[in-house]
Amino acid sequence: MAIAKAERLMNLALCLMNTHRPLTKRELRASIEAYREVTSEDAFNRMFERDKDDLRELGLVIETVDALDGETGYVARRDRNRLPEIALDAEEAAALALAAKVWQQARLAGAASGALQKLRAAGVPFDDSTADPAEGHGGSPQGVGGVIEPRIPAHEPAFEPLMLAARDRRPVSFDYRKANAIRPEPRHVEPWALECWRGHWYLAGWDRDRQAGRVFRLSRITSRIRSRGGSYTVEVPDHVDVRQTVERWAGEGATATARIRLRRGAGYPLRARAVETVPVDAEWDDLEIPYGHGLDAWLVEFGPDVIVMEPAELRAEVVDRLRAVAKG
Amino acid sequence: MSNAIDQTRRMLSLVTYLRERPGARVSDVARAFGVSEAELIGDLNVLPMCGTSFRGGDLLDIDTDGERIWWHNAGGNADVAQPLRLAADEATALLVAARAVATLPGLRESDRQALLRACAKLEAAAGEAAGASARLSVTFESEGSVFADVDRAIAERRRLWIRYYSPSRDELTEREVDPIRLFAVGHTYFEAWCRLSEDRRMFRLDRVAEIKLLDEASDPPPIEPRDLSAGLVQPAGDDPEVVVEVGPGGRWVAEYYPYDSAEEQPDGGLRITLRTPDPGSLRRLALRLGRDGRIVSPRALADSARQAAVQALTAYDEAHDAHDAHDGHEGED
Repeated sequence: MAIAKAERLMNLALCLMNTHRPLTKRELRASIEAYREVTSEDAFNRMFERDKDDLRELGLVIETVDALDGETGYVARRDRNRLPEIALDAEEAAALALAAKVWQQARLAGAASGALQKLRAAGVPFDDSTADPAEGHGGSPQGVGGVIEPRIPAHEPAFEPLMLAARDRRPVSFDYRKANAIRPEPRHVEPWALECWRGHWYLAGWDRDRQAGRVFRLSRITSRIRSRGGSYTVEVPDHVDVRQTVERWAGEGATATARIRLRRGAGYPLRARAVETVPVDAEWDDLEIPYGHGLDAWLVEFGPDVIVMEPAELRAEVVDRLRAVAKG
Repeated sequence: MSNAIDQTRRMLSLVTYLRERPGARVSDVARAFGVSEAELIGDLNVLPMCGTSFRGGDLLDIDTDGERIWWHNAGGNADVAQPLRLAADEATALLVAARAVATLPGLRESDRQALLRACAKLEAAAGEAAGASARLSVTFESEGSVFADVDRAIAERRRLWIRYYSPSRDELTEREVDPIRLFAVGHTYFEAWCRLSEDRRMFRLDRVAEIKLLDEASDPPPIEPRDLSAGLVQPAGDDPEVVVEVGPGGRWVAEYYPYDSAEEQPDGGLRITLRTPDPGSLRRLALRLGRDGRIVSPRALADSARQAAVQALTAYDEAHDAHDAHDGHEGED
């Protein structure tokens, strides 16, 4: 039976960490049984490269050294792989342990629990009596925020490849359907950052086709993420404000106001953000509300309970929309 | 079940952990690492096959009697058992989560401070591995004062009175609820036993118009916590079916409503079939869509949207006249 991958990776890691001089591929192959079992030179080389990549993903710093005889040597130096002293008290450890549970995305959930394992092994005082995932949801008032259960969803298939591309600064391309577009279009993007807002993920990056910074909603990506060769052509900005762009889409951050007449008892969310409310008669109130992008569509939802007074352009847009619905 | 990467990651930490704890209990170690005892035993079966020298032969002499774990040659293995630095993904996963949780309003101030201190220490210890964490961010949203009251009601097991806004009916209802838990998926919600509908209900904090803590004890019937990983809205199989046809400008409907099917249309639109316990609640959607889409069925729903629009237009004509009489300007129409 072939030797399991975890055993092979473990042997490679231990050999590289325990050596005081760089080891050649030949030496490693001779000393690790799983590699000796592979008869083809090509297959071994491919396996060895993949294994090194996997260990690097796990955080191991593997140095490549040109040895005297022309062969490459590999070593995971002790000082470069050691976790620096980290002194978390019990309260800090408990807060971190709870925060680590928020990921619903497999890769990050695995990474978060891997990080906790390393910290635990390094002596961080986690309270083991609450570490059991089967417990912990019993409504106990201890821990972060009492009983809040924050969750970070990331169901979009584009999430993981884009996260890795942003991390490694790799240009990508994908098909993207804008909110109102008939067909998706190919986009070439240098990913800067991903942000989750109101439960949806957005990508900010340099759009090579439009030669401008753009924000993309991950759920509108219709293809898989393709990696492109080469490096970024534009410098990544220090601060990327995804939220500001998305808020503008969502019609927040309004600068003007509108005056509407609202039937008493209706439209609570409109009342909640009204700047001013003045009763008109037994049935109606006049409200002054912030006027931003998308207000017309929202007001139409309230049907005959809202009448737009000002400005004229908003009134015209709402009447226009109502006529379309009335026609059926 | 764990994959080879997760298992390798865990075994590397196990080596560090076990070296400091001769005779550690299997049950304690399994709990500390968040795995079942069977999984841990699986790891303990692999570790003795792992050598620490390129010359071979220096295998980890780790064994267990099923209850305790012993590492007989731990003394000579300080180099492989040192605590390992965090990988970029590990630092990112922890830091992004901790920063996100720290933004939750209603978080106890002492917890927020502990979290921020932990972040700072973690950033320092992670070094350059922490850099990539700047490329992901998450913000939770919730209403601070409502959050605090719900949080307190759960901790003190007290009943709540709320005035709650239902967007589907555009109305506020008053009800008494027994809160069960708070959670955040994009927006922040609480789940409660609703004494008005005698059922469990989710309440979004930003739709709570008013809230009061009552002196009565809360008494929710024992219910299984719902699995939220499949989404908050999970329509039942026997809910009535609604068919909506949208043009390209109405494709967003498929992003906001869970649906059964969405067929592409030749004009770039979609024909969406979805189910909802209360089709009347979709009148808002029909009105909002305007020329970007229409309800195909049920007929009654399509009619009610049309009537609402006609009625609204009548009101406009009246308001228009009144408005003109008032100010004598504004040349609309």
